[in-house]
Amino acid sequence: MTTTAATTADLTTQGQALTVTGLTVQYGGVRAVDGIDFTVEAGQAVGVIGSNGAGKTSTLKALMGLIPRKLTSLQLGDKDLSRVKARDMVRHGIGYVPEGRHVFAGLPVEKNLLLGAYAKPWNAHTRTAVDEVYELFPVLGEMRHRLAGALSGGQQQMLAIGRALMAQPSVLLLDEPSMGLSPKLVGEIARVLQRLSAQGLTMLLVEQNAKLTFDVTSTCLVMENGKVAMTGTSTELSHDSRVRQIYLGL
Amino acid sequence: MRTRATALRAGGLLILAVIGWLLPYQLDSYSIHVVDVMIVFALLAIGLGLAMGIAGQINLAQVAFFGVAAYATAILTTKAGYGFWTSAILALAAAAAFGLVVGLPALRIQSHYLGIVTLGLALAFTNWATNATITGGAEGISGIAGPILPGIDLSSEYLYYYLELIVFAIALAFGLFVVHTPLGRRMRAMRDDALAAGAIGAEVPALRMTAFLLASVYGGLAGVLYAGLIRYVAPETFSIANMFFLLAMVIIGGRQSLVGCVVGAAGLTLVRELLADYPTYAQIAYGTVVVLTVVFAPTGLAGIPARLRSTASRLGWTRQPAAAGTAALGPFEPYTAAQPVDSDTRRTEPILAIDNIDMSFRGLQALRGVQLTVAPGEIRGIVGPNGSGKTTLFNVISGLYKPTGGTVHVSGRNLTGASSHRLARVGIARTFQNLRLFGQLTVRDNILVALDDTRTYQAWRYLLWPFGIWRHDRNLRTAADEILTRYGLAAFGDALPGALPYGIQRRAEIARAMARRPRLLLLDEPAAGLNGEETRQLSEIVRSIRATGVTVIVIEHNMSLVMSLCERITVLAGGTVIAEGTPAEVAQAPQVIEAYLGDSDLSHDVPAPVPTEIAS
Amino acid sequence: MQIFFQTLIGGVSLGAVYALVALGFSLVYRTMGLVNFSHGNVVMIGAYMASTFYLTAKLPFALATVIAMAVTGLIGVIIERVLRPLENKDFDLMLIGTIGFGIVLEALATLVWGATGRAVPSPVPAAPLDLFGIKVRTYDLVVLAIAAAATALLMLFLQRTKRGAAMQAVAMDHEAATAVGIHVGRSNAIAFVLGAALAALAGSLVGPLLYVSPTMGGTLGIKGFAGAILGGFGSIPGAIAGGIAIGVLDSFAAGHFQGYSELVTFLVFTILIVIRPTGIFGERTVNRA
Repeated sequence: MTTTAATTADLTTQGQALTVTGLTVQYGGVRAVDGIDFTVEAGQAVGVIGSNGAGKTSTLKALMGLIPRKLTSLQLGDKDLSRVKARDMVRHGIGYVPEGRHVFAGLPVEKNLLLGAYAKPWNAHTRTAVDEVYELFPVLGEMRHRLAGALSGGQQQMLAIGRALMAQPSVLLLDEPSMGLSPKLVGEIARVLQRLSAQGLTMLLVEQNAKLTFDVTSTCLVMENGKVAMTGTSTELSHDSRVRQIYLGL
Repeated sequence: MRTRATALRAGGLLILAVIGWLLPYQLDSYSIHVVDVMIVFALLAIGLGLAMGIAGQINLAQVAFFGVAAYATAILTTKAGYGFWTSAILALAAAAAFGLVVGLPALRIQSHYLGIVTLGLALAFTNWATNATITGGAEGISGIAGPILPGIDLSSEYLYYYLELIVFAIALAFGLFVVHTPLGRRMRAMRDDALAAGAIGAEVPALRMTAFLLASVYGGLAGVLYAGLIRYVAPETFSIANMFFLLAMVIIGGRQSLVGCVVGAAGLTLVRELLADYPTYAQIAYGTVVVLTVVFAPTGLAGIPARLRSTASRLGWTRQPAAAGTAALGPFEPYTAAQPVDSDTRRTEPILAIDNIDMSFRGLQALRGVQLTVAPGEIRGIVGPNGSGKTTLFNVISGLYKPTGGTVHVSGRNLTGASSHRLARVGIARTFQNLRLFGQLTVRDNILVALDDTRTYQAWRYLLWPFGIWRHDRNLRTAADEILTRYGLAAFGDALPGALPYGIQRRAEIARAMARRPRLLLLDEPAAGLNGEETRQLSEIVRSIRATGVTVIVIEHNMSLVMSLCERITVLAGGTVIAEGTPAEVAQAPQVIEAYLGDSDLSHDVPAPVPTEIAS
Repeated sequence: MQIFFQTLIGGVSLGAVYALVALGFSLVYRTMGLVNFSHGNVVMIGAYMASTFYLTAKLPFALATVIAMAVTGLIGVIIERVLRPLENKDFDLMLIGTIGFGIVLEALATLVWGATGRAVPSPVPAAPLDLFGIKVRTYDLVVLAIAAAATALLMLFLQRTKRGAAMQAVAMDHEAATAVGIHVGRSNAIAFVLGAALAALAGSLVGPLLYVSPTMGGTLGIKGFAGAILGGFGSIPGAIAGGIAIGVLDSFAAGHFQGYSELVTFLVFTILIVIRPTGIFGERTVNRA
């Protein structure tokens, strides 16, 4: 299904660097994320791996402003996003694919995609964007009138990614797109992400599946207990014995 | 410390009793009437508090329970010619029967659905009372015979007050006794998390019915006393407006505290009496207070002291209590292997045999032909990518889901589709991936709920042999302290789980599961969110638990933990078992490497495939 | 047979009003996941508003209705704003909060308009139509037509407009909705205003059918809510079907059991809902565990 050679250059805009410093998330007495810093360069794909509970999802949600957080700075290019509300992040170029897909289950596929472009006026350009998503994920085109809740897990994941792309984000935040997918589907998602990355889309990918992350990204952070435990290129980390033992079980 | 608190409490009670006894001497005949009505409402409010605040059942038919008993007393004394006391007993039975009927829908529906159904049934009752001949229609029934006691003239509202006071004191004491002993604890656990309560053996359906039974008996007591006091019943007393008035008492007073409910009832009756000439303004006032309460003080008046305390300690006015802030998780004291919990470990029969299990949710197939056989005394690991069906499998084993196909045998018994509380009684205990401790119960209470193994039908002992309950509760408390100490949680017994760090909550959940004295323990990602040292301790705890003869199945992502801890590992992917074997075998199985890593360069130099159980 | 059809027609036109009330319940639930127990009382306020503008201010019935809708919309804004801290947090507490609002609204109506109530003459004074021996009041037809039009408009709004889609998205997943740029609070406020406006429409239409009094909200609200649940809570066609079903049930119960109609209606409702908690068109699970 990823055999279509059509370019989707219109969905990916010129990237900008995302810089985060001093990000902290506190739940009750627990620090889920403990003052982490990182940068995603323009056009780069950065991965965050770590075990469940290490603070990966909290990091993304906090970046989006969906949960209370503290941070020193949050910059996209030279724009300061530290005081932007969660609902306006998309208007500043931050696309978000939530963990567990979270499509609008009771609405048709196409309505889900259109809502991805909620922050923009709906016009001919939106139509083109929808068609481009269908080119990227032909199966969504076949199911455009089906309710999103009736799709399989893999299709819902594609829909969630497609919905985020509809806003033509400068940076795409992805939270565990492999969750609940069969190995074959994980492979397909990986190929799509690789393709988007090759087209210059800036990405921050949070994953429990280390292999997928190493395949898609160039740089990786390893999170443990809310802190960045290791940073390195994806190739380096995939050969690091400690990473292999903990995350690959080898 | 403890004795001082007890002495203070006893002193307070004594003062209250004296005030209660002397009160009539200070009041004129109208005021004593108001107080008499107030006590009736207080009883009603206790009943509603038990159902809504303690058991979490939205019951908007409390006023109908009240009405059934009042009308039954009226009809039996005026039409059937029974005396007051006989009528009272029959009326209580009628209210209880009606309560059980109204409660039946709660077995299927909850929350706002239950709210509308109970409200509809309350309306149906008023409709009947307004139209039936036997109830005197809209006119109601007058001339109800009052209670007669030799030598005491109960037609005097002053003396009637003492009758009410005694009934009220016993009813309140009984209510508080229920709340703070096993039955009430289980109801509170059910309120906080019905799923987790079922998983530790609480019979949720029976508990819901018990909640309605209690609510209707308190409503019935109020109805009987009301009929004896006013000697006249008419439909408007049992209207929806009064139901909402009653609801306001409970919400404003604090639905989770029976004393709060009483204070709310007393306060609102008084306010309504003071504003008797301006009933509409009174209505605006209490409606507004209800709105303000739910928004700003959801725990009502009863919750205000605790909120003040926490504000004070946050602002640094008072000393921090030792628990949450500073104390650290204590060391785990291993079980002595000489005392195995389970004696039948030598039997060869598998403790758990899962055959060809399918589970689908509205077309989404989460499990497909899963096979799993676990020998007694084993530590089994279940691994697989997120969403591969591991937790779904646990939910099937522990009875939260009924599988759409296949069978589950526990020690040879077919328990496919058995309820979670039944499986809990058979000896299965579990923890949850996202922690499901009872949020409004202290850590000690969480353990106490799990420790208690009495069946709900044994609740009759509350009436006939409360001393036995009290002694049972004391034994449970001793056992709970032992468990708290063993798991290093002694410092956190009185803390609410939500205020504790994650690692401590995880530990508390394992302690709660072990309080069930299970034969099979299911741990769902016990190491998630733990740091290195906590993970090491976890591994030690699991080994010690197994040494007592308990079989453990653990879902875990931390591979080094799984590899070092488990004898055998089952690998799930896409809802099917793709491999099973020893850690070494599984780690080298190509299909596992494929599932985890995709077509990886890491999967080259692999030995020949190991035997696996690929279903269908 | 003629009596049967006469009862049926009566039930359907009363049911159309219940359907409008149910529509408000379902709209608010579908777009913000809240059960608004004060909805019936808002219907009552709408009925008083409309009848006051119609009878006292001598405005045309339609204009009076529109003004009433605007005023109750404002009440909706206030309720939503006050209860907003509980949104997406404590469902049961929020429900009790709306009961509190209902109590206040009823008392306010008693203060403003008195406790006695009033009768509203039909704005369509034509004689009843005679269809094959069955008498149909013209006003009943007007009510049915307006209910049908309101449903159609609402369906169009939800299915065809950007705002309508966004409001449904909020109820399905408020976090994902936030991420695509939807202002969840504003969406909820609009849902509440629409719900309140629908309540006023129902109230205004029910005025000439029933007696307008401060306590009318209780029964109308409970029956409308029962209709919404019977149809499948949150479903727009379900609200219409359920509301009409309750109306017909009511009408037949009144025919066969006279004074006991409410008793019978609620017993039947209870049994139906216990057998099938998701209602006719419902798809959501009931137990939110």
